[in-house]
Amino acid sequence: MNATDLRVLLARWAGIMADKRDWLIELDSVVGDSDLGLTMSDGFRAASEAADASDLADVGKLCYQAGKAMATAVPSTMGTLMASGLMNAGKVLKGLEQLTPAQEAQLFEAYLEGVKNRGKAELGDKTFLDGLAPAVDVLTQAAQAGPIGAKEAQAAADAAWQAFENTRGMLARHGRMAIRGEASRELLDPGAAVAALLMKGYAEYKADSE
Amino acid sequence: MKKIINAPERFIPEMLEGIYAAHPDELMCVGGDLHCLVSKRKHAGKVGIATGGGSGHLPLFLGYVGEGMLDGCSIGDVFQSPSAEQMLAVTREIDQGAGVLYIYGNYNGDIFNFDMAAEMADMEEDIRVESVVAGEDVASAGPSAEGEPNKRRGVAGIFFVYKCAGAAAAAGLDLDEVKRVAEKACANVRTMGVALTSCTVPRVGHPSFEIGDDEMEIGMGIHGEPGIRRGKLRPADEIVDEMLAPILSDLPFQAGDEVAVLINGLGATPMEEQYVMFRRVKQTLDEKGIRVFRTYVGEYATSMEMAGASISLIRLDDELKGYLSAPADTPFFKQFQL
Repeated sequence: MNATDLRVLLARWAGIMADKRDWLIELDSVVGDSDLGLTMSDGFRAASEAADASDLADVGKLCYQAGKAMATAVPSTMGTLMASGLMNAGKVLKGLEQLTPAQEAQLFEAYLEGVKNRGKAELGDKTFLDGLAPAVDVLTQAAQAGPIGAKEAQAAADAAWQAFENTRGMLARHGRMAIRGEASRELLDPGAAVAALLMKGYAEYKADSE
Repeated sequence: MKKIINAPERFIPEMLEGIYAAHPDELMCVGGDLHCLVSKRKHAGKVGIATGGGSGHLPLFLGYVGEGMLDGCSIGDVFQSPSAEQMLAVTREIDQGAGVLYIYGNYNGDIFNFDMAAEMADMEEDIRVESVVAGEDVASAGPSAEGEPNKRRGVAGIFFVYKCAGAAAAAGLDLDEVKRVAEKACANVRTMGVALTSCTVPRVGHPSFEIGDDEMEIGMGIHGEPGIRRGKLRPADEIVDEMLAPILSDLPFQAGDEVAVLINGLGATPMEEQYVMFRRVKQTLDEKGIRVFRTYVGEYATSMEMAGASISLIRLDDELKGYLSAPADTPFFKQFQL
């Protein structure tokens, strides 16, 4: 993956968040203030536009810039968390113009770390992290065996979707949903839905580039 | 929705234009962004203090930018955090070489953005930033165990934190010391609120929550967060008793303590009612042998047109008394040396 590929991926993410805007709004309206769909579509669009407007070849710096643009466009809780993911991936990959499969998996690992450090939630708290973590595991393992292709990316997307569905039944310990206590178990986590969409977008981008 | 506005989406920019127009000698914006507000008066070598948060709480947050209190403030849309980039712009502008202290309320959106701004200040500007997060609403969560994060919301009591930390910075203390004073103020302040009616976010257009004409909600937050009990409206003394008891038992405030009291109107509750409340607070504190060093009554942290009020108490030692008594001159808060 190089900077051009990252621009394509970001555009794909912006597209999928725009397509699924109303679905996210609906998921979020049960527990939040229903602005998740708007935040994610506006935020990823800003990230994608910033990357397109930049001629950086450094994948890390480009990712950081895209994250900063997102943070400025949507300073809401979830907007800042997603921006923190991109910015941390940018910091970790700084100086690289072509990512190896392992570094490509690292992008997602660093994204996860960035969100985790900013939000101070733990795995199992029923958040975005629970949606993304299983997919990162799949990618990291795939990268050890060879290049990440469409098949591997789809496996990661499937893992994220399954993890999103598995949030039903989990007890929320963080964020606004936690106020509901035991009643939170019956709800799907909108943050994990965003993670599933990110991985779906990545799988589509991989399928397109093959 | 019944408001004196031109258009919902122009509400915040036009409010800000009004603020700058009214205080041309005291306030200016940074880089042409009205949301980034700093004091025109700078003091070489002084620790800079910045705050920020959503709009809709005047005089919080920007109203306390001025002499003896804060140096800068970034504000977002109604009840929305400003961006880290805006916080960074303010940080850059107010740094006088002694570092910058962020003081803000305990809300996830604000925490995430201030943390990000602090990282950017360190990485991109080499400015040392420390943060103190105020969370003193006893209705919002139980006391946090040692080592656990504070889960309480920050509300009107942050005024005392601004006042004490601001005076400490004005006195020339360094960043670590100003932070210590801010933390000490945070550790000694407790607040509880009551809401009688909802506010309406202009761009939403309808009240944030439903509440009956004859109802009140004890412990509600300043964005309409759920409180601890909803019930029929009661006489003022009973309302105050219900609010004050958990405040007193939480710290706890004890006989012999000296405190400052803040009765804060949430936006649509008249001063008269606030003084009726203070009357009862004073009676109770007298009975308990708690001395009132200083009283503030009025609107310090509002929720637009919400009716209701909050009671904040801060326990004072000689150091905090000194800083609380120091002069301040901001657009919304002025005090001579006590």
